[in-house]
Amino acid sequence: MQTVTLTLREKNRIPIEADTISPDNFAGLSERDIEQIPLCLGNTQVFLGDIFEVVADGSDSAENVRIEINGDLSRIKRIGQRMSAGEIVINGNVDMHCGCSMTGGKITINGHADNWVGCEMKGGEITVNGNAKYYVGSGYRGESNGMSGGRIVVNGDVLDYLGEHMCGGEIVVTGNAGLLPGLSNNGGTIVIGGNTTMAAGEMKKGMIVIKGNLEEMLPIYREDGTEEFEGQTYRKFTGDVNVKGKGTLLVK
Amino acid sequence: MSELIIKNAAVCDPINGINCEKMDLAVKDGKIVENVSSGADVIDAGGRLTMAGAIDGHTHCAGKINLGRLMSPHDMRMNPVPGLSGLQEPTPYTRAQSGYNTPNTFALGYRYSKLGYTTLSEAAISMLSARHTHEEFESIPILDKWGLTLFGNNWHVMNYVRDEQPEKLAAYIAWGLKASRGFGVKVVNPGGGEAWGWGKNVTSLDDVVADFDVTPRQILMGLAEANEALRLPHSIHVHCNNLGKPGNYETTLETMKLMEGVKTTRDRQALHLAHLQFHSYGGNSWREFESATPQITDYINGADHLTFDMGQVIFGPAMTMTADGPLEYSNARMLHAKWSNKDVELEDGAGVVPIEYSPKSFVNAVQWAIGLELALMVEDPWKVMFTTDSPNGGSFVNYPEAFALLMSAKKRQQIIESLPNLAVDRMVLPGIDRELDFYELAVMTRGIQSKMFSMNNIGHLGVGADADIAVYDIIPDQIDPGTEHEKLKKAFSATSCTIKSGNVVVRDGEIVATPAGRTYWVNASGCVSNDVNEAAMKDIKNNFRRYYTVGIANYMVEDEYLPHPVEITTEVN
Repeated sequence: MQTVTLTLREKNRIPIEADTISPDNFAGLSERDIEQIPLCLGNTQVFLGDIFEVVADGSDSAENVRIEINGDLSRIKRIGQRMSAGEIVINGNVDMHCGCSMTGGKITINGHADNWVGCEMKGGEITVNGNAKYYVGSGYRGESNGMSGGRIVVNGDVLDYLGEHMCGGEIVVTGNAGLLPGLSNNGGTIVIGGNTTMAAGEMKKGMIVIKGNLEEMLPIYREDGTEEFEGQTYRKFTGDVNVKGKGTLLVK
Repeated sequence: MSELIIKNAAVCDPINGINCEKMDLAVKDGKIVENVSSGADVIDAGGRLTMAGAIDGHTHCAGKINLGRLMSPHDMRMNPVPGLSGLQEPTPYTRAQSGYNTPNTFALGYRYSKLGYTTLSEAAISMLSARHTHEEFESIPILDKWGLTLFGNNWHVMNYVRDEQPEKLAAYIAWGLKASRGFGVKVVNPGGGEAWGWGKNVTSLDDVVADFDVTPRQILMGLAEANEALRLPHSIHVHCNNLGKPGNYETTLETMKLMEGVKTTRDRQALHLAHLQFHSYGGNSWREFESATPQITDYINGADHLTFDMGQVIFGPAMTMTADGPLEYSNARMLHAKWSNKDVELEDGAGVVPIEYSPKSFVNAVQWAIGLELALMVEDPWKVMFTTDSPNGGSFVNYPEAFALLMSAKKRQQIIESLPNLAVDRMVLPGIDRELDFYELAVMTRGIQSKMFSMNNIGHLGVGADADIAVYDIIPDQIDPGTEHEKLKKAFSATSCTIKSGNVVVRDGEIVATPAGRTYWVNASGCVSNDVNEAAMKDIKNNFRRYYTVGIANYMVEDEYLPHPVEITTEVN
């Protein structure tokens, strides 16, 4: 087991790109080595030790690395990008692209997350104990494949375009979702605990469950009886018929 | 200016009939010369393969490619060919690079230079957007450029063809070349682009274009004759009707036969067929789709009035972009892909659709084979220009892969074995064991371009030629291209040294200087009499008043858009 605790020295105004903060990168490194890992502060390069107080204990492979980050990281982006194993716990808010393209491991955010959480992720798990903003689990601009595996849980609300171009994996939102969740879904599962609107446009495969109120239903679905989900009965819709989709939309 | 001598070069220069002979090349003031003084800089080629800078005679490097960039932000991150694609950080000499099929302008210049290319021919300038095309040209570093101007669906052209006014037609073309600072006449799906304005297309050379009462056959003949009357350095450059449709080889054959009657006024072909691979399909439906290369190459082997380029397909993601609007609509529908469509007022149209060529798809596998078949089954390499119609068949950064395939029957066989059986039954490639040598490859990448565009100053290494030189890390008599596929590909992917107009721009595969390139354009007004010109100008001005959204003065590409121009003039003998 290797544990690394990072504590933000001072809140930054200029954004930091921290794609180097991941268990894969930290595995087997000493405190001093970790302090020497480069980060981008605006257009200049700094070292991790300049931004964070680093306390490391033990040395192990990536799957046994636990990174705990304390402080307000709301201007620190790309934490856990491409990570494949291990664990990151963030005690505070975090900036965009957290956990994007990750393939394994676990990220827990005890605070709010910004846009693009878990974009294009292929495996692993992200839990946000707070709200997240736009494009959770989506594909980046122009890409036709978003999240393709793994699981994202948001214990709070999310904004628009949840799980756009998703093609696998699972997203659970306990609160409300903004406009157009599950756009172009091609095989993923999305469960929304609260309210949302205009869900599941261009869905080809997969399932979207809306436990709360679907304020506006896109007129692109065929009603197909009812279906049970977690002990509750929902009206079942199949579509999007415009794209000959066979996705399932469950609505109260 | 400085002097330079390249010693111990294994020079392969087909225009001068030199086949991998050890010699020295002297360079002075950006030109190849007989000899230089003893103070000249020395580059020791160490027996490496040395050719003239290559010329891409049909590529989409400015203009429509920008529409592709807008449509595919994810292309910026694609990196299937490391070193020649994806995000690359700036260096002391280069700016940041990104993309694969639609790289940024700087990346185009750097990456082509690394492959040993020094000149590009943009395949389609639409006149109304020509100012922007020239701005893009200017931001492509190192390389020389020219563009072929679209005339195949132009209202003026169709009117003059219908009214049988060949002199006015020639005057219009000369004016159009000046307006767009273009190099030659490009014809895309003649008549079809105009019909697309009404949601239709033309399907044969004899379909009538609504409202204009002309046929593709008449448009092609009219433009070819005007092209000759203007004594343009290049022949008409034709993208035939019915591109990409099963059974289209018959239209292609008809187009080739039609041009037998054209009398050329310069020592070059009467017709250049663009991306012939997309026009050599047999069968009556996608189910029956098969290679029609034998029918096409039988004809070409017996004809001497034409040249063509391959339009080779590379497996993987590509970006189709063409002035053929109706084609792109059917592509987008068939592939459920993103689609962009553009109508250019009185002139033409355009469409852009991303595509992925998969070796598992039987149609794509046959397309891949047809490109190679065309190059290998046409006996005379002086009729074949190497292209992938970049990025339609695949990005130019894959040229080394395709070169190596042309040079190795064994490698081709390895790939054929991995293709679906159905595809292998529909192609003729498995029976072909021809392997190109360096000389033939140099013909297809340098020699033919020099001749077909009448560009005597480039594409060869004779005394007086521009000092555009590529040195590859291959010693010709110490490599067997038939078996050393990877080694060959690696050498063609990054030159030991690329020299542009006497300046070393690439060393050991890295960019070391980025001088600005020049833009060639053709001024053919010397072949138009004043009376005819005045009469044609009256028509043009009239059409501008009635139909165009811009005034004529805002339409012409002005001198400021070409800071590095090279004007080529044509005159009546």
